[in-house]
Amino acid sequence: MFKITADPLSIDEAYAAVRAPDCGAVAIFVGTVRNHHDGKNVTRISYSAFKEMAEKEFARIADEARARWKIGAVYIAHRTGVLEIGDASVVIAVSSAHRAEAFEACRHAIEVLKKMAPIWKEEFTESGKAWISG
Amino acid sequence: MIIAVQLFGPLAEQAGRSRFELTLSGSTVGDVVAALSVASPSLRIDRAVRFAVNTDYAETTAPVREGDVVSLIPPVGGG
Repeated sequence: MFKITADPLSIDEAYAAVRAPDCGAVAIFVGTVRNHHDGKNVTRISYSAFKEMAEKEFARIADEARARWKIGAVYIAHRTGVLEIGDASVVIAVSSAHRAEAFEACRHAIEVLKKMAPIWKEEFTESGKAWISG
Repeated sequence: MIIAVQLFGPLAEQAGRSRFELTLSGSTVGDVVAALSVASPSLRIDRAVRFAVNTDYAETTAPVREGDVVSLIPPVGGG
């Protein structure tokens, strides 16, 4: 399942989407809103996305991971809207028969998502707001 | 032909709007970007900006056809 959503993300949903009888491992990465960046206190983050393209990129990232590692299912969800400190902004889950592939594919997926997915982050601090990339 | 252009994030903020309809004589992403620069001179379209035709990344030499939507993708920050 690949989605951009304004709703809170569910780790249970991610787990349920990828677990399988032939998979002995599920790796889940959760990205959360951190309260600091470059020495500034972050108060909240607003995410926006080009939804259709981002969801297509998520599917492409999963295809790429499946071509490279022997894995089961891939789940990628990213939240949009204003998020508070500690809120989950992204959840990626990968299942595989053995743990190494799930860990590696999950790591790969978040690294590629950060470079390729058309999603933008506006960070709010005490001193104002700024678009943050990378 | 008429091409729709979408702007996101900081570019939409700079332009003060997120959608344009441009009439152009050329037929590539680069032609669309040139027409957009004329329509919205305040936009700063530097080398870090990527482009998409419909829902796929595209180079400036990529062709555009009537009905396509060209998107400007400023540096992304997901995760």
